Amino acid sequence: MSTHLFGLTSRTFKHSHAVGRAEFAGTGFRNPTDMAISPDGTVYICNRSYENRPDGVHVTVMTLDEEYITEFGSYGEADGEFMWPTSVALDSKGYLYLADEWLNRITKFTSDGEFVSKWGTAGSGDGELSGPAGLAIDSDDNIFIVDAGNSRVQKFSLDGKYISQFGSKGSDDGQFNMPWGISLDGEGHVYIADWRNDRIQKFTADGQWEASIGSTGSGVGQLNRPNGVSVDADGDIYVADWMNNRVQVFAPDGRYITEFHGEAVLSKWGRDKLASNPDMIRQRSLAFANNPGYEQKLCHPCAVKIDSEGKIIIIDHTRNRLQIYIKEDEPALV
Amino acid sequence: MAEQDIALMSHLMRRAGFGASRDEIEAKAAQGYDSVVQELLNPETQEAVDEDLLYRYNPSYYEAAAIENNVQQWVWRMINSPRQLQEKVALFWHMIFCAGHSKIDSGQEMGLMVDIFRQDGMGKFDNLLLALSTNPGMMYYLDNTESHKTAINENYGRELLELFSLGVGMDEGFNYSEDDVKACARAFTGWNIAPPYPPFPHGRSPWEFRFDPADHDTEEKTFLGETGNWNGNDIIEIACKQPATARFLARHLYNYFVADEPQIPAWRLTPPRDQAAIEAMEKAYWESDHSIKAMLEVLFTSDFFKDEAIRYAKVKNPTEMVVSLLRMTGEFKGYKPGLFDYSQEPKYMGMDLMNPPTVEGWHTGREWIDSGTLVERINFASDILGNTELEGVQSLVNRLMGLGDKLTPEQFVDGCLDLTGPVVLFPDTMGQLISHASQEGELSHGTDAEKSDFTRRSGEMFQMIAATAEFQFE
Repeated sequence: MSTHLFGLTSRTFKHSHAVGRAEFAGTGFRNPTDMAISPDGTVYICNRSYENRPDGVHVTVMTLDEEYITEFGSYGEADGEFMWPTSVALDSKGYLYLADEWLNRITKFTSDGEFVSKWGTAGSGDGELSGPAGLAIDSDDNIFIVDAGNSRVQKFSLDGKYISQFGSKGSDDGQFNMPWGISLDGEGHVYIADWRNDRIQKFTADGQWEASIGSTGSGVGQLNRPNGVSVDADGDIYVADWMNNRVQVFAPDGRYITEFHGEAVLSKWGRDKLASNPDMIRQRSLAFANNPGYEQKLCHPCAVKIDSEGKIIIIDHTRNRLQIYIKEDEPALV
Repeated sequence: MAEQDIALMSHLMRRAGFGASRDEIEAKAAQGYDSVVQELLNPETQEAVDEDLLYRYNPSYYEAAAIENNVQQWVWRMINSPRQLQEKVALFWHMIFCAGHSKIDSGQEMGLMVDIFRQDGMGKFDNLLLALSTNPGMMYYLDNTESHKTAINENYGRELLELFSLGVGMDEGFNYSEDDVKACARAFTGWNIAPPYPPFPHGRSPWEFRFDPADHDTEEKTFLGETGNWNGNDIIEIACKQPATARFLARHLYNYFVADEPQIPAWRLTPPRDQAAIEAMEKAYWESDHSIKAMLEVLFTSDFFKDEAIRYAKVKNPTEMVVSLLRMTGEFKGYKPGLFDYSQEPKYMGMDLMNPPTVEGWHTGREWIDSGTLVERINFASDILGNTELEGVQSLVNRLMGLGDKLTPEQFVDGCLDLTGPVVLFPDTMGQLISHASQEGELSHGTDAEKSDFTRRSGEMFQMIAATAEFQFE
């Protein structure tokens, strides 16, 4: 019997596991927007929460095995506080940088969550910020900031000295409309989730436009407000296709490979939560019978990252968890 | 532009929306009354609120479980939606088709229910009632989930007739009997909810209506004189062709959009304040195959609505008070922190949005005002209007300065009243404001010091206007 393989078949993916649950503190997340992963596997989750629950605004530190380490930061304007956190990134020394799109500032923390410094000035001039969204740090420890309100990407030293910028408002090649996520590949290319233009744009390290992926819609390869992008070691591109409730995967040349809709089974922390709530277990089992698959699916995935082992980690924003996929060269049995 | 055009447009925007900034009122007055009415009645012709921006800056709003997020989101829409009548109509139905978070305990369901009012609120009344009767939140709130063919629960059937369609009675008679209530409840057996996901560990799923034929009473029923094997759909169809339903809707529309009527339980024995107005809207209901929009068109284009006697004759409900001030002053355009506090203000004034006190809703009109809520209303209004740093308030001050290089106290007070309404005061109140303004004499704005003083005095005068009894009305 023959098999019929269509499309790009040289890699397959399988769901690994889910991490986290909905909480305002401790072992869970609240409306997470982004994450950063250190080489040793420590994960920093940026929790945005919402206005009347400022207790949910903080960074959760943990591992992908659901070992809770700590949390730090809180809602406010003082040093070490933040209001509308959008993104986090780690430098080569393990310091964490957090972007706050309301306060227009970047805050630097130690890996233990101690406040180190802050910088950022609101405005539209060189080096000024308007709604900083995505952050990425290159191998030379320069930090790229997606300056969403100014429709551009700016490059700074880690202590906030302005270096360069590219982009302007619009929908032509190299222009942006409310960009958000950012990723760098192994060759230093810059990928931007051009949110309101429903596309990913690829640039050289110095901001020369190279390619665009995606158009508006919900079909294959189309995007609806993509807010996160990551590139793995093979150059494959993962896009958090926010309003389409999926992550799409593209080959380095932009061809569509596949998409993830979520296949979560209960996380360890989720199981712990249910274990002490028998009524919830009862209700959940009835819901499963009525609507199988609902809970498994991605709901507003907000970011996607690749860790040092190549795992694909998706921030499942509305479900307050991570969903993790593995990429395999050999056919993955799913 | 004629003053009467500004006053009439301001009246229209207060009633068919949540007020507007002075700039917007003048632009709409220039556009023409009838044209603006058509825009209001046809929200699809107006730009929609940009939802993906709403979710971009408030990512927790999407499928929001928390009631506070749903209330915030609604208040934000009331402030910012160009489709003002759509939001005003949603509030209208929320005040009639009352269901509350205190029992439903799902902010998302409350948000979804309001969305029905937003989307279907100006359509055919039968469709709205059907949407309501298949809304899981309402089915749960009024115990239809506990109504079974072997043991009915009459709650939904009773409220559908008493509060949602016919009303208890009219012209001193009764509109339905206890047997009709039972028949209605029997027809809605089997109208239930599928099991949703619980809040833990990843959040609730939206509730889904589910009809269970095995739990539906298929026996013959007699409802309002008609006999058959009625299902809920049939009940709605029969209810919507009753003269009492047209009357009930017309009185509600008049009460909400035109002038305060007596409280609803008194309607059986108390004739309408304006019988001809009610009859005109009833006629529109029949001629349009039960269209709410058609009734509203008659209302907004009628002489009884434009009559100066009914301007400022209606007590602002707390939501109108809060949202209209935010719109007038431009305080919450776009996205920024602080919406939660504003969204809670109506609650402090006695109107806990998405959580009415009972299925009968809030008592309206002068019952909005007591010593506690009056203080809240005045404090909030004066805080907002007195904040001369707000864009909208600055715009009002600039307009005042534009009235002349020097203003007498009388000109100054007249200008302030005109720009904040136009508000019409009783002579005594007017005298007090002029007396206050006279204490510091004429106003100029030639120098920086004079400008600063002019601005300060304007803020104070706006605060005094906000504290008048007259400002409690719209």
